[in-house]
Amino acid sequence: MSDIVFEAITKVFPRGGSSFTALADVSLEIPDKQFLAIVGPSGCGKTTLLRMAAGLEVPSSGIVRVGGRRVNGPGADRAVVFQQFALFPWKTVGENIAFGLKCKGVPRARRDELTRDYLALMGMSGTEDNYPHQLSGGMQQRVAIARSYAIEPQVLLMDEPFGSLDAQTRMVMQEELIRISRVNPRTVLFITHSVEEAVYLADRVVVLGRSPGRVTDVIDIRPVREAERWDKVASEEAMEMPGFGHLRARIWRQLRQEMQISRTVAEV
Amino acid sequence: MAAILSAARGSRRELALLSLLGAALFFGFWQMLAISGLVSKFVLPSPGEVLIAALTMMVEPFAGNTIQGHVAASLGRWAMGFGLAAAIGVPLGLAMGYWRLLDAMVSPVFEAYRYIAPLAWVPFAALWFGTGIGGPVMVIFTGAFAPCVLNAYRGANLVERHLVEAARTLGAGSIRVMAEVLLPGALPSVVSGLRVGAGLGWQSLIGAELIVVSSGIGYVLVQGQSNLAPEIVIAAMVAVGLTGLLIDIALRLAEARIRQRWGQTP
Amino acid sequence: MKPKTAIGLATVLVLLLAWYLATDVAGLIDRQRFPSPGDIWTAGAQIMTRGYAGGTLVPQALYSLRLVVLGFLVAAGTGVPLGILMGLSRRFEALVNPAFLLVRPIPPLAWIPLAIVWLGLADSAKVLVIWFAAFVPAVINSHTGIRNVDRTLIAAGRVHGASQARIVWDVLIPGAMPMIFTGLRLSLQASWTTLVAAELIGAVLGLGKVMSTAYRDIYPAMIAVGMITVALLGALTTKVLDLIERRVVPWRQY
Repeated sequence: MSDIVFEAITKVFPRGGSSFTALADVSLEIPDKQFLAIVGPSGCGKTTLLRMAAGLEVPSSGIVRVGGRRVNGPGADRAVVFQQFALFPWKTVGENIAFGLKCKGVPRARRDELTRDYLALMGMSGTEDNYPHQLSGGMQQRVAIARSYAIEPQVLLMDEPFGSLDAQTRMVMQEELIRISRVNPRTVLFITHSVEEAVYLADRVVVLGRSPGRVTDVIDIRPVREAERWDKVASEEAMEMPGFGHLRARIWRQLRQEMQISRTVAEV
Repeated sequence: MAAILSAARGSRRELALLSLLGAALFFGFWQMLAISGLVSKFVLPSPGEVLIAALTMMVEPFAGNTIQGHVAASLGRWAMGFGLAAAIGVPLGLAMGYWRLLDAMVSPVFEAYRYIAPLAWVPFAALWFGTGIGGPVMVIFTGAFAPCVLNAYRGANLVERHLVEAARTLGAGSIRVMAEVLLPGALPSVVSGLRVGAGLGWQSLIGAELIVVSSGIGYVLVQGQSNLAPEIVIAAMVAVGLTGLLIDIALRLAEARIRQRWGQTP
Repeated sequence: MKPKTAIGLATVLVLLLAWYLATDVAGLIDRQRFPSPGDIWTAGAQIMTRGYAGGTLVPQALYSLRLVVLGFLVAAGTGVPLGILMGLSRRFEALVNPAFLLVRPIPPLAWIPLAIVWLGLADSAKVLVIWFAAFVPAVINSHTGIRNVDRTLIAAGRVHGASQARIVWDVLIPGAMPMIFTGLRLSLQASWTTLVAAELIGAVLGLGKVMSTAYRDIYPAMIAVGMITVALLGALTTKVLDLIERRVVPWRQY
């Protein structure tokens, strides 16, 4: 069981003399093996929420639980995929992927085997001995994802993982992620700026409001996706479907409202 | 003045010739001063006399050993002191970069220690270790320690936070983070610190040898001085300078190699 | 008070306390070899009132300070202009470099025996060695400072019709000042280190003489007093240099 539960999370950051409330009393539940995407305007605290689940940030008040256990710090049960890839530049692709396995004490032969398997899964066989800087952005992110998958985490936390990729690569990566998720489903918390990406990938989408961040909407994607059979067609076709369009428009309206609220607040 | 600052910066060949001229002027001036009789032979020997003294000492022992033997003895002490400084200093610097608490605790003590010239420790070193090897090793350690720590610390701070976080989310414990993330990430800085520490350690060694030992190249300097044999003194000075230079060059090459290989590191 | 400062202070206090307990109270450490805080206090009082190794603390300290300042000023006065000239003219640099490169690798302390041969144990010998030690960083940093001045600034000067001399005085030299002062800081450090070494080897008066006499007398507390005084004077002179720098180079970001 690896669900994520955020209970009444509040996070306040000291900024100079005053303070900045990133999250205000946010409660959210991600059931086991659900793919949840969070969208929201910049600075709304979505990354902070993810970092708390990862154990890289501590809530000012409230509790974060994963699999029923309180989160106390980072750990291999909750793998993180960063926007900047965070691959170790001095290690080869193979060494990067095997890193988590090494930490777990997996013996060499088995590590090599698993590395090969995961590289094959990502369509990157044969690149074990390359260094990250020799690969394109998309390939690097694939290695990062493989690295996270290799430790077979309960939970996958992805912080705008495709944010620094160009549009075409991004689309390809989205399709890849769907493919792997179907093969190996696990609980995923996915942060993104792109509404389309959220609707395409997720089972549920949460919209987070501006600072202080709170949940403003929760949309169930899955019924629509299954009804229109998005998985059976290419991504661009799925995105043309009426159901998709409605969902996208709905979320956009929500976001627009958020941005207008912030604009009027700023003008005051 | 205008001629010196003229727009043309001088062709390669012109500069090379000027360098040759500069070297020639230096040795020529020295030779003339020595020969001229303006200064006593006991004050300034000619370049030739220095060379002869150097060559002689390579074959005939002086003050207990050939000049190479003395240099070797000095290098041995230096290696011990420097090795110790690196083995303790680098991990300490990395750890201070990783644990804020350790940094807060150690920093003030470290800053205070930095203000004390390494050579000022010689009386204590002599008091505690007598004429044993502990004395010079301690002084060398004191000289080499600070750069090792500081550069490791700075290097660790420069390692991207996300890399450390990635390692921790993959299950790495603190030791592994320091050894497999901070150290490689900080390596260019660490090696630079080792190079500076090596140089300062060598300088501190010479200073210590001037005061407390009975072998080594510093001892040759002192013996040359008390025998009023400046040609020996200068020969020994050249030996000291040369050895220091070789150490520096070797470490610079290592540093360049490492920068090249891991140059992509932020 | 910031938490970091508080922790640092606390650590220092704990260490001092442990030191005091281990020496004055429990007698765990041989006080013939390692002084206790009380011993150092007593020694300090002694040298300030009755004097040691030829004088009370203030004349001894001033004696050393005088030599350092003298050597430093001579080194700065010769090294900085030389470095600047080398930075301004590649021809001049090519001419002077060989001599400089031959002399540079020789550790300043290695000059002490030669200086003694030439000038005996007089003050001039010490000033000479301090000059050697402080000279090199001053030259190198001044040279680098001039070379590293942002090319765009020089271009801006030229575009405004500045003459060569004006570019030197109004662009290059001010632009090089931060690095020049870095070099001067290194020179000051080297000056103190060299002075201590030189005085340990042979001196009539001064803090080094205090330390070496204390060593011979097996009086570790007095050695410590000497070391602490040197450290404090070093910090003081560095602070003075910093203040001068703030005046001369007000535009530098600190």
